[in-house]
Amino acid sequence: MTDRSELVALVGHPNVGKSTLFNALTGGRAKVGNYPGITVDFQQGSFRTPHGRRLELVDLPGCLSLDGDSPDQEVTRRAIHGEIEQLPAPDLVIAVVDASSLERHLPLVIELLELGKPLVVALNRVDLAERDGLRLEPDKLSEELGVPVVPLRADAGKGIVELKQSLRTPLPAPSQRDWSDTAARRDTAHRIAAVAARRATAHHETTSDRLDRVLLHPVLGWLVFLAIMFVLFWSIFSFASVPMGWIEAGQEWLVGVVEGAMAEGDLRDLLTSGIIEGVGAVVIFLPQILMLFFFIGLLESTGYMARAAYLMDGFMARVGLSGKAFLPLLSSYACAIPGVMATRTIPSAKERLVTIFVAPWMSCSARLPVYLLLIPMLLGGRESTAVQSLVMLGVYALGTLTAFFVARLLRGRLGPDEVEQHFMLELPSYQAPQWGYILRHVLDRGAAFLRKAGTVILGIVILLWAAQTYPKSDSDDPAEQLSHTVVGRVSDAIEPVVRPLGFDGRTGTAVITSFAAREVFVGSMAVLFSVDESDDEAETRDRIRERIAAETWPDGSPMFDIPAVLSLLVFYIYALQCLPTTAVVAREAGSWKWAIGQFVFMSLFAALASLVVYQVGSLIAGS
Amino acid sequence: MKPARIPDLELDSLTSLSKARVGCDFQIRAVSGPGCDQLRKLGFCESLQVRKLAHGRNLICSVCGTRLAVSRQLAEQVLVSPVAA
Repeated sequence: MTDRSELVALVGHPNVGKSTLFNALTGGRAKVGNYPGITVDFQQGSFRTPHGRRLELVDLPGCLSLDGDSPDQEVTRRAIHGEIEQLPAPDLVIAVVDASSLERHLPLVIELLELGKPLVVALNRVDLAERDGLRLEPDKLSEELGVPVVPLRADAGKGIVELKQSLRTPLPAPSQRDWSDTAARRDTAHRIAAVAARRATAHHETTSDRLDRVLLHPVLGWLVFLAIMFVLFWSIFSFASVPMGWIEAGQEWLVGVVEGAMAEGDLRDLLTSGIIEGVGAVVIFLPQILMLFFFIGLLESTGYMARAAYLMDGFMARVGLSGKAFLPLLSSYACAIPGVMATRTIPSAKERLVTIFVAPWMSCSARLPVYLLLIPMLLGGRESTAVQSLVMLGVYALGTLTAFFVARLLRGRLGPDEVEQHFMLELPSYQAPQWGYILRHVLDRGAAFLRKAGTVILGIVILLWAAQTYPKSDSDDPAEQLSHTVVGRVSDAIEPVVRPLGFDGRTGTAVITSFAAREVFVGSMAVLFSVDESDDEAETRDRIRERIAAETWPDGSPMFDIPAVLSLLVFYIYALQCLPTTAVVAREAGSWKWAIGQFVFMSLFAALASLVVYQVGSLIAGS
Repeated sequence: MKPARIPDLELDSLTSLSKARVGCDFQIRAVSGPGCDQLRKLGFCESLQVRKLAHGRNLICSVCGTRLAVSRQLAEQVLVSPVAA
């Protein structure tokens, strides 16, 4: 007998509740949602049975059968057969099936039975099945299949203890049966389903049917979709202002404490102008980022995401993609990394490559602080939140439309698929949001953002503060002192390069620092543009923005006029400034060449677009 | 490709899911064409009942209580006959 705990694998169709069951069993934090393809890689946890036995659990991506050909289904097939290096073959399989659709799910269970491994069937969503008029008979199902069947509601935690109790080890392997072909499996599945889940003959209209009549209507559906997107951006601007005020007040209080406790000098300046102001300038956007993740979580959890994919399929087809590519692209609005990983659900390899290539142009949450700094500058701070939201929507639309345009070009060059692919998607029933999971996901993302602020961003603002403070000159003139420092020298060196884009050397330096992470730009700007500030008074976010907006060129003309701000905005829409994304692209595309090509292309495209916007904008403004 | 087990005369009376009327129940009689494997995995199997819910570039139907969206080209490969009310 080996020392390792036995491994239990969760297998089932996409969106059947495997990750919810995984969380219920292990107390884990796996991401859950209500659309097919949330889980694209396996995740592991452990739990104890009521008898105290510790079992390892692995949650596998959804698959319709064990011969699925998309990369996520390949992960499941290989895991079941023990072909994944870091994962032993499972000792036991829990087949998770949707009780309201046994006819569709049982063929996979039968395939699993044929493997001869101990198997337990988790009959999930029994509440929804009974609500739809099904008469479930789990005992008969167990009798027919020859394995334990446990009815449960993973989302409500009901039936979890019974499921744990059923995992007695060693479990007897099911009697070896071979249905020889898929048709025989299907016939058996239909016969068993007819016995174990008797369906009312008449189709009755469900709430989801009624909602879909509106939400998937060719005209009304689009109006609702656009309204949802507008409300999302509007709330990011309006609702977040209260908690942002609290963070701002906390920052001011902290600066006051430090200034009260320390004598004037470099260390105090590092703490106030460097760390508190630099990191604070980024952290202040935390409420807005949390709000974005909250809304995306809400859309995923209710089942609306799949509807959005359905609506978008026609549009996506015009750019050579399908509705299946829409889900990864939409996820990329939160973060490109899960978006790129979600492309595993796309069956066409060429479509997957194109989607990976353009995904970083869906504006991710890391760009939000930059947009939130620049958009009010563009509007002169006079416009209402509604106008700001519209501009924000336009910024997102620009990135998205350019992504579609490039996808069209690239898809044309890659040629058609060897096997023609068609759109197929399950539209899950609408359900009340799983608030607990949404909240947990939002908090996890918030913690990740704060970790980044406390590590990468903190490190960079400290380096920047040092670079714009040292070496010291003998002069008392702040401008002369600045030109003597490392930042002053770097700025002078790069200014001729970035000047045609409308940036001065300091802005250019801030842009360069943000290649490590986009959000750094805001902190860098706060640090780099604070050098000639003589008073020690704590400044509000608006005043930081005002101070940057008031900067002038040596000839007295405003540095951040409309063409310059537009140029900066355009640069951040297009530049790929995220090293982890490049690493994930290399892994998912299976080629560093593809990842580096994407990075170089997007950086050059961003610089070129900025140049055009600034030069044309200046011509128009000057005429 | 002619689906197996369906006599020619009966085949003539079948209609494809893409041309079937919205809001009606049908029985799937044959699934035939290049996408038939995928369609069967998704749940479009012979003898099951299907209700067509919406028409369009991708049509929506309900199979065994699950709403599925499939492209019109795929729906063309599903042959159905009406279910008596």
